[in-house]
Amino acid sequence: MNALSKVKIGQVQTVAKLGTQETTVRRKLMAMGITPGSSLIVEQRFPSYIVKVGYTRAALDREIAATIFVN
Amino acid sequence: MTRQIIYPEPIEQAISAIESWLESLGKSNVLGQYSLSRRSLALLLLQKDPTLWQTLEQAPQQQQEIEILLTVAQNQLQYPLDLAIAETRQKQARDLEALTIQTTKPAANSFPETLHRLSVNPLTGFPILIVILYFGVYKFVGEFGAGELVDRIEGFFEGQINPVVNQIVAQILPWQPLQDLIGNDYGIITLGIRYATAIVLPVVATYFLMFSLLEDSGYLPRMSLMLDRLFKSIGLSGRAVIPMVLGLGCDTMATMVTRTLETKRERLIATFLLSLAVPCAAQWGVILGLLAQKPAALVVWGGLIMAIFLVMGYLSAKLFPGTSGAFYLEIPPLRLPKLQNILTKTWIRMKWYFWEILPLFIWASVLIWLGKLTGLFDLIIRGIEPFAVAIGMPAETAPVFLYGFFRRDYGAAGLFDIQQQGGLTGNQLVIAAVVLTLFLPCIAQLQIMIKERGLKTTLAMIAFIVPFAFLVGYCVNLSFNLLGVSL
Amino acid sequence: MDCHQCQKHCHSVKNKPSWWKRLTKKPPSRQMLARDGNIALVGTPNVGKSVLFNRLTGVYVNVSNYPGTTVEVSRGITKIKDRQIGVIDTPGMYSLVPISEEEKVARDLLLQESLDVVIHVVDGKNIGRMLPLTFQLIEAGLPVVLAVNMMDEAENLGLKIESNALTMELGIPVVLMSAALNRGIRELKQAILQSLSSQSKPALANLEVGK
Repeated sequence: MNALSKVKIGQVQTVAKLGTQETTVRRKLMAMGITPGSSLIVEQRFPSYIVKVGYTRAALDREIAATIFVN
Repeated sequence: MTRQIIYPEPIEQAISAIESWLESLGKSNVLGQYSLSRRSLALLLLQKDPTLWQTLEQAPQQQQEIEILLTVAQNQLQYPLDLAIAETRQKQARDLEALTIQTTKPAANSFPETLHRLSVNPLTGFPILIVILYFGVYKFVGEFGAGELVDRIEGFFEGQINPVVNQIVAQILPWQPLQDLIGNDYGIITLGIRYATAIVLPVVATYFLMFSLLEDSGYLPRMSLMLDRLFKSIGLSGRAVIPMVLGLGCDTMATMVTRTLETKRERLIATFLLSLAVPCAAQWGVILGLLAQKPAALVVWGGLIMAIFLVMGYLSAKLFPGTSGAFYLEIPPLRLPKLQNILTKTWIRMKWYFWEILPLFIWASVLIWLGKLTGLFDLIIRGIEPFAVAIGMPAETAPVFLYGFFRRDYGAAGLFDIQQQGGLTGNQLVIAAVVLTLFLPCIAQLQIMIKERGLKTTLAMIAFIVPFAFLVGYCVNLSFNLLGVSL
Repeated sequence: MDCHQCQKHCHSVKNKPSWWKRLTKKPPSRQMLARDGNIALVGTPNVGKSVLFNRLTGVYVNVSNYPGTTVEVSRGITKIKDRQIGVIDTPGMYSLVPISEEEKVARDLLLQESLDVVIHVVDGKNIGRMLPLTFQLIEAGLPVVLAVNMMDEAENLGLKIESNALTMELGIPVVLMSAALNRGIRELKQAILQSLSSQSKPALANLEVGK
């Protein structure tokens, strides 16, 4: 299990766990399609994280990206 | 529904338990007021829905019973209940998607895709951002809207409407103060309505047009993600980029838009920075004209305001407890904006904004009228004079600061007059421009601040901002003198 | 613009807002409601909900703050055949359990207004992650129509959506559309009409939510 900050850019990853303690953030992530079991691709890390989930993109800050774990 | 979502066994058990419990309550059920199915109510309770939970507090007995059912279900699961429920739905949704959607061809690397990559890549994205701000805000809103259009509409008012109003008022109203209420320098029509339509409306219209264009093209979220890190260091997040950019158009409007920020802390810092260090289009438009002949003065002013924005943001981020809001934003695909969408959006926004702002300007002219009538203003001006002298300004600039608070253009335009008479040096111009920018932009913004943040918070901000503006003016004057700078 | 008798009445309420009414900020009138039925548009942000709302209602809309909040709610009227139907554009919502003030308003609207049809607007490119809200609306017993919007973008990505299969699986009407391109509006109106006439009485009563 790796945090998003550790994975290679452009590779398909499967979300294993959402580690955030904040319910609000967890729910919003899930609403954007980032849930355990779904697959995503990290497209870039700077200035913000951009991940592609299905056919949409989401921007995340470093702090949130550090709480998303993938296999 | 042919396919009902089936949740993991412990949850299903809890649902049926709550369902039959709800049924058994009959009329005494405090949740009976909700027009939802029992299954839905049960699921909402399992997710600890705040509204339902609050309602349940009216019946502590019922709340306790639900609490027990919840704990029982939770003990049988490894995840939090809400997560388990959400995951079941997500999985079902993914299955249904797989069943009903076919991919006929692989997604091509299209032009919008390339544009997206360019707009978020740090190497190309930041230059693109600057170009958009330069042309969108500076050129279109600043020069065209706040300059060209304002001049024309204002000229029309001064030339065609005001004289007619003043004449009519002079004929039908026998009493001078009553004439001043409607017409003349600070009347409801000649100041309030003229200001709203001639100065604010063109700026707002051009700004909303640009804003709707950026919005419809899908660029705004990209701007937020590019600037999130910078904004984190001043206690805000990428989400606050939009109100801050809006503030360069109109701070009053921007203060309203701070509603969209997620945490109270962020709304507070954003409101504070907007009222302190973000000049609105009317303001920076006139200051630009004032300092245009002295590029060095313009650079000093711009650099000082930018530095104050960043330093005060950084300090307030340290001062206010809490952390910056988490930043997560969906990034929609870039697309060619549709003219009709843009026009409709601009129109709806303008209409809404105009109705929100017009009453404020009318109140402002009534206040000025009262202030002049009672002689209160003369008193205040005499109070300001020593401060004006202390920051190195001539005493006759004192009214500029008071009226500048009611009429943004008047403040700077008043300076313009004094300068025409050869009354101001380059140093004094920079000091006056800095103090006027930091000073509250206008009375409309003050009213919106009170409406959005409350009276106490607003007063606390004013209590800081006004002395701070003069203090900065004093320091700038002092350092000019010490360093022997002459602009 | 030629006005239907009823519409004329409604326009005069809107187009000539009395000055002092504006100044004193009366609560939004409910006169735009309850004619031949009321519908609400529901969905997450960025699915083209307000574009669809504008397509359905034109520019004659009433934007007002939801009582006690700073959240804006737009109301308008759409004409289907000779029926006048009230349309409410709810703020973006992700789930029936509200997190933000916007979502709370959206849900309160769903529970408080007497709605005859709830149109769940979803992004055709991302049906999978929007269906959970569809499930929740159906579970709640609301009369849902699924409007799969932005089909032009989905087709550009090479996606083909079997709307019949979706209808079968969900048990609700499904319309494929692209509001920005004016595609599928007629079909949606048709589905609204059918849904209205299949209900003998409004499915929901006008109930108060405890504050």
